[in-house]
Amino acid sequence: MTSDSRLEKTVDKILNQTENELLTSLKNSFEESKETLSKSLNSLEQEYDRIIDEGKKESEKIEKKIIGSSDLESRNKQLLLVEESVEKVFDKAIEKISSANRNENYSKLINNLLDESTSALGTTDVIVYTNSKDKGIVEPLLSKFSGSELSSETIDCLGGVQVKSKDGSMTFNNTIDARLERMKPLIRKEIATKFGIGN
Amino acid sequence: MTTQGGVQYSKIAEIKGPLVIVDDVENAAFDELVEVLTSTGEKRLGKVLEVGNGKAVVQVFEGTTGLSISGTSAKFVGKVMEMPLSEEILGRVFDGMGRPKDGLPDPIADKFSDINGEPMNPEQRDYPRDFIQTGVSVIDGMLTLVRGQKLPIFSGSGMSHNILAAQIARQATVVGTKEDFAVVFAAIGVQYSESEYFRRSLEESGALKRSVLFLNLANDPAIERIITPRVALTAAEYLAYDLGMHVLVILTDMTNYAEALREISAAREEVPGRKGYPGYLYTDLSTIYERAGRLKGRKGSVTQMPILSMPNDDITHPIPDLTGYITEGQIVLGRDLFRQGIYPPVNILMSLSRIMKDGIGEGSTRADHQEISNQNYDAYSRSQEVRALAGIVGKAGLTGVDLKYLEYGDDFEKDFLSQDIDENRKIEETLELQWKSVSMLPKNELTKVKDKYIEQYYKEN
Repeated sequence: MTSDSRLEKTVDKILNQTENELLTSLKNSFEESKETLSKSLNSLEQEYDRIIDEGKKESEKIEKKIIGSSDLESRNKQLLLVEESVEKVFDKAIEKISSANRNENYSKLINNLLDESTSALGTTDVIVYTNSKDKGIVEPLLSKFSGSELSSETIDCLGGVQVKSKDGSMTFNNTIDARLERMKPLIRKEIATKFGIGN
Repeated sequence: MTTQGGVQYSKIAEIKGPLVIVDDVENAAFDELVEVLTSTGEKRLGKVLEVGNGKAVVQVFEGTTGLSISGTSAKFVGKVMEMPLSEEILGRVFDGMGRPKDGLPDPIADKFSDINGEPMNPEQRDYPRDFIQTGVSVIDGMLTLVRGQKLPIFSGSGMSHNILAAQIARQATVVGTKEDFAVVFAAIGVQYSESEYFRRSLEESGALKRSVLFLNLANDPAIERIITPRVALTAAEYLAYDLGMHVLVILTDMTNYAEALREISAAREEVPGRKGYPGYLYTDLSTIYERAGRLKGRKGSVTQMPILSMPNDDITHPIPDLTGYITEGQIVLGRDLFRQGIYPPVNILMSLSRIMKDGIGEGSTRADHQEISNQNYDAYSRSQEVRALAGIVGKAGLTGVDLKYLEYGDDFEKDFLSQDIDENRKIEETLELQWKSVSMLPKNELTKVKDKYIEQYYKEN
């Protein structure tokens, strides 16, 4: 055997060996990449699910927010509308009261107001204030309340009386304006009920 | 509400701190509402604290700044302070006195209720039972909140109690029922930024439409804080007992309330109790906390979560101390956990929900709930001891089991205790996390849970 043929044999052997090694390595790499791919597929799927899940949660949140705010917005608009209408009713009522006839019934009302005021103050020793329109009605009624006198000053109100003890320490405001203000929450409810809101 | 208006008295004897003393008063009643009228026509509200000898002591909610003896008068309205109530209050924002703060008109009232409430007949009280899911693992899993319970949060200044409160308000729900759930939020002496955070947070989560907010800000008169929790509870009682809703009331910060009480007490020259608080602080707090509960034959419930910041983190301070006597447990926030950046920084070893056992278990949460909670409590307690030991002898001096407890403690704080401020965990997730944490320990260390649960839920590594 010549040295050339021996050399050729060795080269062939090395080539075969390298080929085998390369093939094995390729096979291993292929297996490894297959495994990595299948693994990453799994984690990819998990990541995909997570993103979808978060997106779902976020969209639910946004949906809730939108529904919540629009519900509230429409309710609030309704409240403002009702309030506007209630105010209109009030204005009309006030207009009617201020232009009402000062008849016998009105005189009875003033008498009741005086009665209520003096009993709240616990004395009839009082000064009575009223508006210029009602002066003529109040004055004759004061004879029933001994010690009471009508002030020469007038007050700006729709009607009724304001009663002050003579020492100035106590006042009872029984004008129609004050009574309306006190009763406003109840009247508002009554009006709103007429609009079909509340009980 | 009466049709009879009140008499206006103009003889003011003295103005002292938040108090106005009116002379020559006849027929005033204790707790009667008073309108204090200034010479400029401004109207401030107050209430009668004392009557007798022709004098009435009036506490002015909006403060007495700018009032003078001459020109000021007091009108005794002839009724106690009332709150107008209807379903319309849901979704509304009011100030600390119950006046609208959202630019909308006063609610059209179905009824007017005395803000002091009516005491619940003890015989008519129903025992709190049903579970409320807050979505916060540490509360749902280990300090479960039950319908009708009063469970305070003890916190410290600067800690995340307000964030936690807002999260609970957003997420709280009664699982598995279609019953109406509402949140009443009373902010007492909080900063504007905090109140805005609460409002925005409820608005963004869509929870505002089932909430009522009462906001008394830090720059609002301190005396108004006496009223804020009372108007909030009046609204809550209406929603619960008249409309049949399950209401969660969050009161933050009750320390500011107690301080307002101290201010009035000092002005009345009362003999001070501990740290200058009045001797009746306990009784006064109980008139607020005892307004939680359920009534037999009524559908709704009022559950309370008062929040109080402990001055100097001192749990023996009179406010947390007396609160603890009245309430059914407490959730304590820990400064160490807060410093580590853990949210919510709940120190479970100092916390307790006394009636948790009645709201959990089979039929409401899960059969293993109590046991797994006990196991975590036990293991976390041991992990804290091991941490302290490791600080002295080093990790090398610890046994294998000790090291496992050390690992457990870290995992418990990282995975179970910590959660995002908008993370709403279901009770099942919470229980799974509890099992995940204890599964770091060998099975033979799990002495608080039955074997059948270990077999079912233990996660082998």
